[in-house]
Amino acid sequence: MTANLSKLLNALGLVAIDTVLVVAFADQLWFRDLPCPVCILQRAGFIAAAFGIALNLIYGPRPSHYGIAILGALAGAIISAWQILVYVVPGSGSYGNTILGLHLYSWAVLMFAVIVAGSAVMLLFDRQFTPTEPLPARLRLLPMMAIALLLLLALANIVSTLAICGFGVGCPERPGGYLIINDSLSVTLLGEPS
Amino acid sequence: MMSLPFLLFACALGAAWTSRREAAMGFWLAGVVVFLVLFRIHANEVLNIGL
Repeated sequence: MTANLSKLLNALGLVAIDTVLVVAFADQLWFRDLPCPVCILQRAGFIAAAFGIALNLIYGPRPSHYGIAILGALAGAIISAWQILVYVVPGSGSYGNTILGLHLYSWAVLMFAVIVAGSAVMLLFDRQFTPTEPLPARLRLLPMMAIALLLLLALANIVSTLAICGFGVGCPERPGGYLIINDSLSVTLLGEPS
Repeated sequence: MMSLPFLLFACALGAAWTSRREAAMGFWLAGVVVFLVLFRIHANEVLNIGL
């Protein structure tokens, strides 16, 4: 596998992670399914893993970049697995909507596993680590768009998380709505999710 | 505070894009540490499993 093919595959992987984060946002905004604190941290886990893939696109493929992607995905997977264990016993409840029969935290642990496995498979191809010519201009658009979208999603998550949790360390286990700053500069809860 | 990991990861991406690789790695590492600390703070439910 050449470095350029590796970059293209990494770009597709980054688009896939971007899509996961977009779906999470769509669920939050369209279906008013507010993320819990650990759900928010799982989103951060996806960005932590995606950072390693973004490094491959910016600096070229390196084993250390795949290591970063694996470590980020493992950190996120620990959180997803923990949330699954909280609700694993029948009757212990659940959190949020389901997509194709699985809750978002169940999908998350599967996606983190795919990132770990995908990175491990990519590490098998040594030729990609040989320095080569930069990507042709016509193939540079996809990686740049994928990185720009990831940055945009990270910034959007800052705004969303501030609106849900405010500036404090704690965050409601089951958020009831968005916090807004009213005219008297005090924070109030805006609306209730359906 | 909960948005801090996103801020640090966004800084890491920005630093990487502007060719500051060491700074980017530093921001990423700080982001992961904050992320794990926040998980420790919020993971206070008892797991429903018998070990």
